[in-house]
Amino acid sequence: MKADTSQFPELDKTKFEQRGTEFKLGIPVTNAVTVGNSIAVGFGDGTVRIFTSGESSEPIKAHKGIVLCMSKDGDNILTGGDDGRFLNISLDGKINEIGNFGTRWVDHVAANNGSLVCSSGNIVYLWSPNHKEPKLFEHNSTIGGIAFDAKGRRLAVSRYGGVTLWKKDYSNKWNSSELNWKGSHNKVIFSPDGKYLVTSMQENQLHFWRLKDKIDSAMSGYGAKIKSFAFVDDSKYLATSGAKEAVCWPFDGDGPVGREPICLPYVGNKLVTFVEPFPNENAILTGLSDGSVFLSEIEKASNTIIIRSFTEFEVSAIAVTKDCSHLLIGDMGGNILWTSIWDEEKK
Amino acid sequence: MEETNKQVPVTVLTGFLGAGKTTLLNRILTEQHGKKYAVIVNEFGEQGIDNDLVVDADEEVFEMNNGCICCTVRGDLIRILSGLMKRADKLDAIIVETTGLADPAPVAQTFFVDQDVADRTKLDAIVTVADAVHLSTQLTDHHEAEEQIAFADVVLLNKIDLVDESGLEVVKERIKKINPFAKIINTTKCGVSLNEILNLDAFSLKRVLDVEPDFLTSDHDHEHDDDVTSLSFVSDTPLDMEKFQDWFSKLLQTKGQDILRTKGILDFTGESDRYVFQGVHMLMDASPMGKWPEGKERSSRLVFIGRNLESMNLKEGFENCKSA
Repeated sequence: MKADTSQFPELDKTKFEQRGTEFKLGIPVTNAVTVGNSIAVGFGDGTVRIFTSGESSEPIKAHKGIVLCMSKDGDNILTGGDDGRFLNISLDGKINEIGNFGTRWVDHVAANNGSLVCSSGNIVYLWSPNHKEPKLFEHNSTIGGIAFDAKGRRLAVSRYGGVTLWKKDYSNKWNSSELNWKGSHNKVIFSPDGKYLVTSMQENQLHFWRLKDKIDSAMSGYGAKIKSFAFVDDSKYLATSGAKEAVCWPFDGDGPVGREPICLPYVGNKLVTFVEPFPNENAILTGLSDGSVFLSEIEKASNTIIIRSFTEFEVSAIAVTKDCSHLLIGDMGGNILWTSIWDEEKK
Repeated sequence: MEETNKQVPVTVLTGFLGAGKTTLLNRILTEQHGKKYAVIVNEFGEQGIDNDLVVDADEEVFEMNNGCICCTVRGDLIRILSGLMKRADKLDAIIVETTGLADPAPVAQTFFVDQDVADRTKLDAIVTVADAVHLSTQLTDHHEAEEQIAFADVVLLNKIDLVDESGLEVVKERIKKINPFAKIINTTKCGVSLNEILNLDAFSLKRVLDVEPDFLTSDHDHEHDDDVTSLSFVSDTPLDMEKFQDWFSKLLQTKGQDILRTKGILDFTGESDRYVFQGVHMLMDASPMGKWPEGKERSSRLVFIGRNLESMNLKEGFENCKSA
C-alpha cells in the first residue's frame, strides 16, 4: 500500500537525505574532489566551494565562466577553466595562478608529488616541483585527457588516434611512446596497479591497453558515451557509466578479454551518468540521469541501497571523504547532498 | 516540442578570409542586443577582442568509427559545446566561425552524430559571408568556396558597394545556380540585422515546408563535372514509399560523398501525412509533418545540391518511385 506522499515530500527522502544536509544552489556541479575530510566542488559559474562537516564555504571566485576540471594537489586543489587559467587553490580560498592561456580553455589538470600538469589545446604543460617555467609536450590533436600513474613516472595523454605515453627516465628526461587506436579518445586512467591504461572514446565504447605486452581491446555495447569510469577495489573491476546498468569489467587475473562484465541494474531504468568507487571496498556509488544515487556491492547486487532519490538532474559528481565517514553528491541542477555514510550508533 | 526549447541554437559562420566575417563577429560581440552569445573562433586571435564569451579552437575533423564513409565530425566543437552546456547562465545562441578553407559538412554532421551535442544544442543555420568582388574568382579556384555556398541557408553578399549592378547580378546568379535555397542578403560592412542571421531554425523539418527554392531557368550547359550544382524534381503523382526508400537509401549510400545537401516534401500513396526530410551528405533527418493542408494540391518536391549530379540518373530514379 502506498500513501499519497505528495503533501509530505520528506517521506520520500532516503535516510541519508533525512540525516544529511541539502544545498539547492541552482548552479551546475562540474567536479568534486576529496581533500582529506573536505570535498571541493567546482561549478558552472566558475566558483569553487569547500564542503566540510556538512557546511559550505563561501564561494571562491576561481574562474570567469566554468570550472572545467579539477584535481587534488596535496592539501590543495587544481582547477582549469574556460577563462584559460590554471589555478592552485588552498582550502581556505587562496588562489595561486600557475598558468594563463587566454581564450584557450584549460581542459585537463593533474598532479603527482608536486608535479603539476594541465592541458590546453594540443599541448600538455608540466611544472616540476620548484620550476617556474613549464615543460611543453606537444601532440597531434587536442588532448582528451591526462593521467599520472601512481608513482608519477608515467603520464598518459589521450588524443585523436590513441594515447601518447610519456615516461620519465632516471635522468628525469621524458620520452614518449604511442599507443594507437583509430578514433578520438577522451578521458584516460591508469589502473591503480599500473598494469592497464583505459580510455573512453567518442564512440560509445572504452579501449584498454595491457602495458606489459601492449595487448589492447575495445569494451563496447554501450547506449551512450562513457563519461565516468573508475577502477574499484584496487584494480579488480573497472566500473563504467554509459548504460542503464553500471557495467563492471573484471581486471583481475588476465584482464577482461573473453570475460563478461557484471552489470548492476537499478530501478527506474535510467542512464548511469557517474560511478565512484567506494574506498577500500568492492563496491561503487552509482549516479543516474534522474539524480538518484545508489551504493552497490559489485559481486552482490542484492546488497544495493538507495542513497539519494531523484532530483530530475543528472548526477555529475560523487566524492567520499578520506575517512570514509561522509559523502557528497552533486548534479547538473546544482543540488548537493552531504551525508554521513554510517548510522550514528555504528560509529 | 519542449525539448526544442532547451536546445541552444548554434549558427555556423563560414566564408573566405577577407569576406567580412570578423566585422560581423565584432558586431555580434559588441552591439547592445541584450543577448548572451558565445563565439567560437578560429582565425580571430590577432584581432585581440577581449570578451569572456570568445572561445579559441582549432578545427579538428575526426572520422567516426561508425561505418559511415563520409562521417566526419568536428572534435573541437564536441568538446567546447559540451563544456558550454555546463554554464550556469544560459546562452541565447552560440556562433561557430570556421576558417575560409573549411568544409562545412563536418560541422553540420556533428549535430547529427554526437548525442550530447544533439540533446543540448541544435544547428540553427549556416551563414556564409561572401565578398561580392571576389566571390566569382574564389568559386572558380576553390572547392571550399563552392561548398560554403552550397551549404548556406543565408548568404551575406558583402561589399556590394564595390561592384556595379550588373556585376552584382552575375554573382547572385552564380550563387543561385549552386544553391537555390539560400536567402541572399546584400550588405556593405555586414550591415544586417542580427535577426536575419540568428535564430532562423533553418535545419528544422518544419522550415523545409516553407522553402521555395529560387531556381534559375537557365539550362546547365558549360559546367565542369565537379562543379556544385542543384537539381529539383516535382511530381503530382504520389510516390510509392517502399520504392522511394529503396532508391534513396541506395543513392545516399553510394553517392553520399557527392550529395552535399538534400531537402524534400513527399506525398506517398495511402499516407495522409506529408513526409519531410533534410540531409547533409549521408545523414538524414526525416519525419511525417502532419496532414496536407485542406484544399491544396498534394505534390512531392525534392531538391539536391551536389557534385556530378548529372551522372546519378536522379530524374529516372525519381520517376521510378511514382506509384503505378
